[in-house]
Amino acid sequence: MSTHAEQNTIALAVHELVKVYPGRHGKVPVRAVDGMSFTVRRGEIFGLLGPNGAGKTTIVKVLATLLAPTSGRAEVLGFDVVRMPLEVRRQIAVVLQENATEFFLTVRENLVTFGKFHGLTLPAARQKARAVMEKFGLTEYADQKVQDLSGGFRRRVQVAKMFMVETPVMFLDEFSSGMDPILKREVMGYLREEAARGRTIVLTTQVLTEAEELCDDILIMNKGRKVAQGDLYSLKLLSKDLYDVTLMFDEIPPGLPAELAQLEPHKLTIDQNTVEMTLKADEARVLEIVREIGRQGRLLRVEVSGASLEDIFIELTKEGRTP
Amino acid sequence: MGGLEAILYREAKIRLTNLTYMFFDLFYPLAYFLLFGIMMNYALATPLVSLGVNYKAFFLPGVLGMACFTIATNTAWGFFVDRDNGIFYEMLTYPLSRAQFLVGKVSFNIFLAVIQALLTVGLAAVLLGVELRVELLPLLFVGVVLGTSGWFFFFAIFALRIRRNDIFNTITNVFYFIFLFCSSIFYPLEPLPEWFRTAALANPLTWQVDLLRYSSIGLRTDYLVAECAGFIVFSLVAFWFGVRALNRAA
Repeated sequence: MSTHAEQNTIALAVHELVKVYPGRHGKVPVRAVDGMSFTVRRGEIFGLLGPNGAGKTTIVKVLATLLAPTSGRAEVLGFDVVRMPLEVRRQIAVVLQENATEFFLTVRENLVTFGKFHGLTLPAARQKARAVMEKFGLTEYADQKVQDLSGGFRRRVQVAKMFMVETPVMFLDEFSSGMDPILKREVMGYLREEAARGRTIVLTTQVLTEAEELCDDILIMNKGRKVAQGDLYSLKLLSKDLYDVTLMFDEIPPGLPAELAQLEPHKLTIDQNTVEMTLKADEARVLEIVREIGRQGRLLRVEVSGASLEDIFIELTKEGRTP
Repeated sequence: MGGLEAILYREAKIRLTNLTYMFFDLFYPLAYFLLFGIMMNYALATPLVSLGVNYKAFFLPGVLGMACFTIATNTAWGFFVDRDNGIFYEMLTYPLSRAQFLVGKVSFNIFLAVIQALLTVGLAAVLLGVELRVELLPLLFVGVVLGTSGWFFFFAIFALRIRRNDIFNTITNVFYFIFLFCSSIFYPLEPLPEWFRTAALANPLTWQVDLLRYSSIGLRTDYLVAECAGFIVFSLVAFWFGVRALNRAA
């Protein structure tokens, strides 16, 4: 799959991966992943993006040895997920989309148990748990059973477990769901630190600002297939004629909404006195449109910027476009 | 070994959070024995004619077999709790093989089964004067360990293949009825109709209880060796299917 030199730098290698869920009770089989190939370098934060049902979680489950691929290959640090699943599991730590905690155990016991599963001795696991609880603001809940905590705190415990161990690869499936913004920002900082220490992190998310801020490499997929892959800059080049326009009026001129709709913007929202839209056109045309609209009322603020990852994402996935 | 130790630690921690449940697991067979066994002993008044032992001695290994069966069912039901907590799938990504996972899951409960067997056998001898074959007791504990694991592997297949715990409960209730009453737990098989005896002799619970009966009070059937071999094969086959079900569970 890869040359010897590459193998030293590649953490994950996926080649022509196909996963078909058989149709049950007369239903049509679902081709969740359809010939996907990509690699992830060691120490990289890799974002797997796509709308619901794109196949992101299926890919994570295959790489985490939870699902066997229908065809194709997947390797984690050179270990094949089908032929050497136990070796693969020794390299990974996984946060699944579902809440996964030991309800009847305390926060401390959850962390210690996870540490023990990954080879820590009991004293080492206890010591590490103290540090992790401190880091995640869980110390005062250490002896509370998880079943007595709120959903957000349970998620916090689940993500905290990843920091109990030193596995070279970490999978986080929608890690921030249910997390408060302050903690989310802190966790993003911790993830950057872990990547800087050489851990490879794979994120699946629908919160595109997270991917924009965190990921070194982003793969956008739809309907089981790769739509685009690259760093943020190269993805933005894919839609260089896409512009976000924000116009704030003292009041929206009558007839403007209908006029804007005729421009067929990719996105259009009118909220009180502010118009936000995404236009696909060359720069000169966009500026001309802004000028024309500006003549119709008293403008308080004008902002024209290149497309965000969200715009690119919508552009690439809206019609199930594949390369 | 590390993986096994970790899952044993986890199961122990979880069971220790529910002392009522553990108390019930430990004393349930004893209570069954004291109530049902002794009352039946009074009711029958005379030793069982065909075997020459009183009912309480006869019933002691039956109650031990029943306890293994119950503990195994409860342990398998734990998969549903794990699924509800979401931890089940995460655990399948931990660095241990599926076989280790299954063995580890039942290990702490085997320990409980051995403790409850010790309690039941000890009190039966001390309080009720049941005459035990002390030299065969190690074999009794082998029977308890083998029985608890074999039945757990068997029930794990269903717990892992079935997604709804109400369906699993229905199935275990049916199994309880069939396996327990169509076996040598409650009554000697010799005086029973031929068709019933044939069915009971095909029941792995009969095989296990006959081993426990021999190793506790020395009462031996003609086909004990075949029954032991049969139960070992039953456990291994159940283990193989259990691992397969676990592989498919994700």
